[in-house]
Amino acid sequence: MNGTQEMKAGVPALSLESVSRWYGNVVAVNDVSFDLGPGITGLLGPNGAGKSTILHMLAGLLRPSRGAAKVLGESAWHNPEIYRLIGFVPEREAVYPFLSGFDFVRASARLHGLPDVEAAALKALAEVELTDVKDRASGGYSKGMKQRLKVAAAIVHEPRILLLDEPFNGADPRQRLRMMDSLRRMAAAGATVVYSSHILEEVERLAEDVLVIIAGRLAASGDFHAIRKLMTDRPYSVSVRSNDDRGLAAALIGQAPVFGVEVMDGALTVRTSDLMAFAETVPKVARAAGVTLFELSPTDESLESVFAYLVQR
Amino acid sequence: MSGFIFMLTLRQLLLQKSTLLLALLALIPLLIALIFRLSESDQDPENWTAEVLLGGLVVTIVVPLTALLLGASVIGDELEDGTAVYLLTKPLPRWQVLLPKVAAALLLAVALAVPATVLSGLLAIEGGGGAIVTGFAVAVLLGSLAYVAVFVLLSLLSNHALIIGLIYIFLWEGALAGIFEGLRFLSIRHFSLGIAEWVAGTERETFDAYLGGETALAFVLATAFLALLWANRRLEQVEVREAS
Repeated sequence: MNGTQEMKAGVPALSLESVSRWYGNVVAVNDVSFDLGPGITGLLGPNGAGKSTILHMLAGLLRPSRGAAKVLGESAWHNPEIYRLIGFVPEREAVYPFLSGFDFVRASARLHGLPDVEAAALKALAEVELTDVKDRASGGYSKGMKQRLKVAAAIVHEPRILLLDEPFNGADPRQRLRMMDSLRRMAAAGATVVYSSHILEEVERLAEDVLVIIAGRLAASGDFHAIRKLMTDRPYSVSVRSNDDRGLAAALIGQAPVFGVEVMDGALTVRTSDLMAFAETVPKVARAAGVTLFELSPTDESLESVFAYLVQR
Repeated sequence: MSGFIFMLTLRQLLLQKSTLLLALLALIPLLIALIFRLSESDQDPENWTAEVLLGGLVVTIVVPLTALLLGASVIGDELEDGTAVYLLTKPLPRWQVLLPKVAAALLLAVALAVPATVLSGLLAIEGGGGAIVTGFAVAVLLGSLAYVAVFVLLSLLSNHALIIGLIYIFLWEGALAGIFEGLRFLSIRHFSLGIAEWVAGTERETFDAYLGGETALAFVLATAFLALLWANRRLEQVEVREAS
């Protein structure tokens, strides 16, 4: 691989070719294939699904047990030259605690052999908005600040490919928005950004494409909105608490988005095919029936249940 | 780049609590030499220094333990705490990560063990016995190189490098190699004693050396070289994954 950092025409930036990876008897990734190009791709799946293993194989840090993980058509494993093109942000919080944020990023720039180490480090720190605290020891940073520091160290050489493992863990909402903006800017400049998350909203807000990984397998891939529609068109169960559950159940049963009600042990559960329409309908129906609503809560909104539904499809 | 990794590693090592323990360990020979001097023992100072102080304590315990704690931590700890990923995801051949780390561990090991050897030796022999002290200083220097290289390798081969290292130091070198002479060809301690005797130019019995000087030197250098070669190969194959 040459170090020109130019994307090769027609060659995907990242690809997995029938990749499996197992640890002893445990299969972490099972026969996964995909090609990725520029833009933002979210790797979505519950904890333990194999997302992190996939990212580590793409970053050349894990060897596939079978198949090949490639960067611009070349094997990622045992190939240090790929790091001229790749920035990798691990999930683990560990940094060198005795180094200041500036020194940490400068170290990364130096190890990349950049000509102007100071300028590159300052630029990367500005990108993640850590300039103000750059001289503080990184061991004293909050979890969110450490996340951004790791991103700064990973982008200091302006890589064409950025891999991030659960980058929003520990970041507060404001920090998340800032990091999302940074990633969007990188993608707009032509970079390939891939990040993992087990939180649907994080993927929904940022990713253009999504790869859904469940139990080591690629369960769905493609445009996020198409996959989201698959997710939202599924039946939902909603638990409802009110001052008259039976009265509310009788009033709701005739409404369009509702196709089932159940009152059991004093609790009302409603099944609906359209969560948003139901959320708009239920207050009106309750008001008309003279019922006071206390609480509405989806009973199966966990990502695992959404994924289980996708797998059945 | 190598200089930067060297300095980074040195800083890591100096901030470790275990380094303070190693500094205290290096003071023990000085303390024992002082007690010997004050006790006005009727033992020959040169023999006592060669056999008990430097051959028995420094070469047998201080040098290998220092090398074990430093060598096993320079890469092993980084792989364990996850910081190794910042070095391994750079466009560098792995030997450029390995050698500066080994050099940093070696420098610190030598900085602790060689002064302990020289000062305690001179103190015990009451200023004389320069040849013995020089012999052991060279032996400690070269022995540290072999020990550090072997223990760095061990940390790349096993998650239990410290335990295996302790077994090697106390069971293999301390007990078995004393009983079965053939095992001394696989004992860095005995390589070191051979070198000490050779450099000092004294009777081999004084040092309990089993190997001749040239042989010991060849073995110590070969051990260090092969261990580093294997460690580099191992580091090239090492996998990094998120802690579960």
